[in-house]
Parts: sequence; structure tokens; C-alpha cells
Amino acid sequence: MIDIAGVLAANFLYVILITLGGVLVSGSVHFVPVGGAPAAMAQATGIGTGTVQLAAGAGLTGLVTAGAMLNLTDSMALILAAGMVGAMIMIGVTMMVGNLVYVYGVGVPPASAKVDYDPITKDRQDIYVSQGTEGHGLPTVSFVSGIIGGGLGGIGGALVYYSLMSIANGMASADFVGLAAIFAVGIFFVNAVIPSYNIGGTIEGFHDPKFKKWPKAVVTSLIVTFMCAIVSVITIGGL
Amino acid sequence: MMYPHRIFNKAISGEPPSNALLAAVGGASASVLMSAYSMSVVFAIAVGALIAAGIHGTYCTTAYLGRSASQKRFRQPIYLDMVRSHVPVMMGFAYITTFCILVVSYLMTSVLGHPFPLTLLAFIWGITVGAIGSSTGDVHYGAEREFQNVEFGSGLNAANSGNIVRKAECGLRNGIDNSWFCAKFGGPVTGLAFGMTVFLSGWITTIFDPSMGANIGWLSIVAGLAIILILILWNRRLEVFARNQYGPYKEDEEVTA
Repeated sequence: MIDIAGVLAANFLYVILITLGGVLVSGSVHFVPVGGAPAAMAQATGIGTGTVQLAAGAGLTGLVTAGAMLNLTDSMALILAAGMVGAMIMIGVTMMVGNLVYVYGVGVPPASAKVDYDPITKDRQDIYVSQGTEGHGLPTVSFVSGIIGGGLGGIGGALVYYSLMSIANGMASADFVGLAAIFAVGIFFVNAVIPSYNIGGTIEGFHDPKFKKWPKAVVTSLIVTFMCAIVSVITIGGL
Repeated sequence: MMYPHRIFNKAISGEPPSNALLAAVGGASASVLMSAYSMSVVFAIAVGALIAAGIHGTYCTTAYLGRSASQKRFRQPIYLDMVRSHVPVMMGFAYITTFCILVVSYLMTSVLGHPFPLTLLAFIWGITVGAIGSSTGDVHYGAEREFQNVEFGSGLNAANSGNIVRKAECGLRNGIDNSWFCAKFGGPVTGLAFGMTVFLSGWITTIFDPSMGANIGWLSIVAGLAIILILILWNRRLEVFARNQYGPYKEDEEVTA
């Protein structure tokens, strides 16, 4: 019989850290400029794919780099930074190459339809939006916003993984790594899905009016991830 | 609606889950063959990719037949010769994708000493390659190839959605014609993006090895941030180029905001 209360009491700090990591992930997804199917037809600003999929792609790349770092060092800050950089590189490369396709393949200038002037470069946006569309491509503000989102998501994923890997248990090392990584991937997906109800298909980044809805997702994520954290800590700590 | 076409429609779920499924099936089969039957690595990976390609072929067939048959109101005919000609090609591409992802994952676990198991790494890289393909190469297909009849140099007017190009240079256009076109630009840049992601995320810790001390580990983070800064600046140059090239679409008016 597993001593549930004992395992939870011994690892309560990690339950809190996992919850924090999950909340970071769900907040980060709001930063990522996704446009869904309209963006794939150059009808909306952002990356032409689904919210969850892109956030998961970036965050899981961060998880891979964080996992590699955890193998080499014990420093928590370094592991979180590795997760952040891995996710930022993945999302940065994706947005960069996506913009290459928009500019050279489709022939559209990056433009946002939600603001008249790019808050970072102060460039005029509205006259560069072609007729019948809601913007296209990734202007600098969306690009920077996506990088921030990828970074926060990477930190969140790495924090969940680091916390799970710190729980004392009686498993063989290879099994432990596999189980912790699968739990980290699962918690990541749960938190990547929650904000998609806020985003509803398209968001351009932190300058988009929809971005202001983020507290709802964060509160939801707090409750959901706390429950996930308890289950994962009991599972790993009890084995 | 009322646009009968001969383009293979195999949208099952998103691209990332679909690729992750392929890679995970292939990775699981390969690691079972390697550990339980102690087969050689190349053979195990090839067989794993073959199993994944077979599963992909099943999904392609059911997706095409199921979508066209159940959405009868769109009046799309089901061409059995398209199933015969397209499914083997798609299985071939699925085989190549899975094989390459398994090779990357195997090298990471065995040579670079990554702690994650092979199947999980394959799953994660499957999600990543799907996310990248869906957001880069697919745009070339969805925004340019399917709408070659509208003028180059602007986004697609929402009124034109659904009015895809259905006639080819000779005869009716099919999915293989579209692959031929996208293989000129969309496909290679997708590969470039995935290669850059795998390479750059691993490169920084290979050059600045964190096992030699925390300071060198922090240098790898600095190198990563420098790469990201270069990407931001490159993107800005590209944005300026495109703005000058395609020009404003409307006359400049005073904006009150």
C-alpha cells in the first residue's frame, strides 16, 4: 500500500513547482502568434497551424534540451535556461522559415490587421494588409511575441520535468526518466489546450485584444495542473 | 461545394499528432526489435519505419474514402484509381520521414547520450516536424499552389476560399502534381527548418559542453540567445524587403488611433 499522505507531504514543494510550470505554459501559449487554417491561406496574421500543435512543438523541443542538460548538471537555473533556449530556437526558426515562405512563396509582406502601427518598429500596418484578408505573415511584433511565448513555455516544461525528476523513488533510472518525461509531456499538452478556448483559432501576439483574456486560462490551469501534479507525484513517489 | 476535384484529401487530425503517431509507432517497433530480438540497428529502424508506413497507408485510405463518402452534400466523387496511385506514394513519404526521425532519435540516445528513451524522442521529434511542416511548407501549398489563379503578391481574398485550381498543365490536377510543385520550395524549406532546429538546439551544448562546468553551460545559453537575436534581425530585414517589394495595397490615409 502506498503511503499517499507521506509521499505528498515529502514532495509538496514539487507539487507547487509543477503547478507553477503548468501555469507558465498556459500563459505562454497566448504569446504565440497562430493563425490556424486562415493563416495557411495567407488570410490571417500568424503561423499557419493550430495553437496546441505549435506550442507543443516548441515546448517539447525545450523539454529535449532540458533533458539533455539535466543529464549533465544539477543546476536548476541552467536546466530551466536550457529549456527556454531550446523552445525559443525551435519557434524562432519556424517563424523565420514561415516568413520566408510568405514572402518568397506566396508574395505577401508581413502585416498585422489588429493594430495600425507595429508597437516595436513603428511601421504602418493597415495599408499593407491586402484586400479581403485579416493580415498575413509575421511582422516584428508577432515574431518577438512568439519568441517570448516559446521561452516561457520552455521554462514551464523544463520546470515540470525538473520537479518530477527530483522526487525520491525506487525505480530504475531508465524507467524513471521515461515516466517523468511522459508525465511532463502530458502536463504540457493539458496546459497547451486550455488557452486555445481563449484564442479561438487566431491570435497575433501580445498586442492582440484577445491577449487580455489570459487570466481566465491561468486560473483554469492552476486548478487542473494542481490535480495533475498530485497524481503524478503520487505515481512517481509511490513506485 | 460544387467544385469536384481530383486532389487527395487525407486530413486526419493535425499534422503533428499524425507525424508523432508514425514516429512513435516506428520507434516502439524498432526498440522492441533491438532489445528483445537483438537485431541490428539499421534493420530494426527500417522495419519500424515500414510498420509505421503501413499504418499511415491504412489511415490515408480510410480518411479519403470516409471523408468523401460521409460528406455527401459536397458531391465529391470517390476515384478508386486515385487511391491506387496516391496511397503508395504517401506510404513512401511516410517511410522516409519515419526513417529519418528514427535515425536522428537513435543517434541522440546512443551517440549524444540523451537520457530519454528512443520512442519518446521519436514522438517529440514527430510532433516538432509536424508543427514545422504544418506552419512552413503547408503555407506554400495552401496559399500559393491551390490558388495559382489569383494574382501573385497579395494574400488570398476570403471571397475566393474554396475556389481552388482544379485543372493542371495537362488534364486534371491531382495530389501528386501538387507535391511536385511544393517540392520546389515548400518541401525544402520545411526540411531546412527542421534541420536547423535539431542542429542549433544540439549544437550549442556540444560546443559549450555543460559537463565541463556551470560557466561553460551558461555560455551555451548565451550562444542560444545570440542565435535568436540573429533570427529576429534577419526577420526584420525580410519584412522590410517584402514591404518595399509588394508595396502598400491602399492609399495612405490619416489614421485616427
